[in-house]
Amino acid sequence: MKFPVLQGWMVGSGQRPLRKQLAITLSAIFALSILVAVVLLNQLFGLQARDLIDQRSSFFMDAMLAVREYTSKDVNPIVAPLNEGPGGFRPESVPSYSAQTVFAYLKAKPDYREYSYREAALNPTNLRDKADSFETGVIERFRSDPSLTTLAGEKSTPLGSMHFVARPIKITKESCLVCHSTPDRAPASQLLTYGDSSGFGWKLNEIVGAQIVTVPQKAVFEAKDRSLFTTALLFVIAFVAVGLITNGVLNQLILRPMREISRKAEEASVTPATVSFDERNRSDEIGLLARSFERMKQSLAISMQMLKDRQGRS
Amino acid sequence: MSAAGFSARGPLLAALAMALGLMGCGQQPSARVSLCGPAGQLRVGFVGAEEGRGSSGAAVLTDQDISRLRDLLTVASQCEVMLEPVASPEQAHQRLGASEWDVAFLPPGLAALALESSANRGYSLLRPLGQRSQSRSQLLVRAGSDRRAVADLKGARLGLLPRGSLTGFYLPLYNLHGLSLQSVHYALSYQELLDQLRKGQLDVIAWDAALPDPGGDVRVIVNDPNLIPVGALVLSQPLVAADHQPFLKLLDESAAQLPPSLGYVAGVLPEAQPLQRLRTVVTNVESWTLPLEGRPYAVYGRKQQLKDEGVMR
Repeated sequence: MKFPVLQGWMVGSGQRPLRKQLAITLSAIFALSILVAVVLLNQLFGLQARDLIDQRSSFFMDAMLAVREYTSKDVNPIVAPLNEGPGGFRPESVPSYSAQTVFAYLKAKPDYREYSYREAALNPTNLRDKADSFETGVIERFRSDPSLTTLAGEKSTPLGSMHFVARPIKITKESCLVCHSTPDRAPASQLLTYGDSSGFGWKLNEIVGAQIVTVPQKAVFEAKDRSLFTTALLFVIAFVAVGLITNGVLNQLILRPMREISRKAEEASVTPATVSFDERNRSDEIGLLARSFERMKQSLAISMQMLKDRQGRS
Repeated sequence: MSAAGFSARGPLLAALAMALGLMGCGQQPSARVSLCGPAGQLRVGFVGAEEGRGSSGAAVLTDQDISRLRDLLTVASQCEVMLEPVASPEQAHQRLGASEWDVAFLPPGLAALALESSANRGYSLLRPLGQRSQSRSQLLVRAGSDRRAVADLKGARLGLLPRGSLTGFYLPLYNLHGLSLQSVHYALSYQELLDQLRKGQLDVIAWDAALPDPGGDVRVIVNDPNLIPVGALVLSQPLVAADHQPFLKLLDESAAQLPPSLGYVAGVLPEAQPLQRLRTVVTNVESWTLPLEGRPYAVYGRKQQLKDEGVMR
């Protein structure tokens, strides 16, 4: 299919100066190239931004698992006996409390403010950790498919759409059951703080909850847009540079010699003897054109001389 | 403009137009005002308007209420909400003391305690919570007990609600000032205390006159004259300094969706004066060495008399 008008407008039909035709053509090619690149990069950067957030979320969860491990192995043996005494319950002995507290400190830093971390459980001791309907769905999926290690996707909240990454929380240590099996095994201070009806009945190797990191989709899109904008800006700068250099080269190599040859040709049409096409020494197309004009000038000079001689004889 | 000049700027103008277009794509209009705490979340404590009615957090707020309240607060604050319903006033006491809540639904004792905090870490009252009732602090003994007066409670085993409760902790201790007790024990609900009293595990327990009649096997030995005011929704000072009116307006407009047991009263400021009187009691008791579970305790420390002893509302 042909579009003569568009083709003429872009490629040039001789209606505009060569330089302008080239500028229009280059602008159109560059704009189209950037547009296609932006569309493709938009998809690519979207995937990359999501991957980056998933990686960071996984890092958070690994870090929180490490905090849980540290609390379980090193802090709990020291603090848990204090909870058997007459004082109040010290939640520092609880891995989940440590992990969420450490994350709260992390979240206070501007770089991590967008991220949220929850250790949601179906039957938590502290009702702050009670799974909502969405979290319950995630936990149930982990419970129904124990081979599932990670879930990621989107969730809808009153604040908008969120991207989430989740991992199951499985009870693998018998020590966890001291506080979570039956009320009679739990420290009195725990019962006095949280009551005797929540957070009990857990079993070894049971998936009781999920670690869930959420990030607003807006943050994903913003990260993608930032990358896209930077890349597109680099494209634009590169193309503008190419355009300006091309323009300069065109002017130096073609337009200026052609204007000079044109001026000399006009002069040669009146006084061919006084004009010299010096560009004929060039070996390129400009030289070829100059040599042609030089021959034409000489032919013109001979013709004019012959005409003069004939007029002299008559 | 010369043709040459125009043509040289052609690619530049096209590039600029595209760059501006790209910049526009990255921006999204945002007119929402969010009310978040310093951690980027809204940390909400929920103790409810009444104390000692249940022995678990679930008794304070049902799953459905938690979900509904969390969603409502999220919409009102435009911020991620971390809702923490607690059964123990002591846990709430710790949270308030450490400024770990930005917003809290509190019974009167804890509301007074929240006011008691220092100016820059304290809380302001936003809305009253709960129904006016005949809530008064009482002390109960078994009907067959030979203890007839406060002085007879010397050497008794006392049952209290955890620290933070007005009728279950501060006022009973305030009224027992000067006595030495054999031991002090705690429970999360008045019903648990009553069961332990009936079983003979305790000699005297804290009680609230607004509760249903406990029966003829127990009797009141101390009846505090002060009527207890209602609880309050409180807001931390940093958020009071922020623009919290849209948050409050939306809560008022959605009052019907809040848990009915909360007793949220829209568009009304709580009466600070009765709570200010309570602060005297709370401040006094908080300045004492406080009793530990199962340990002997001498109720001793600075005690200021309340002015206009009587109705606290």
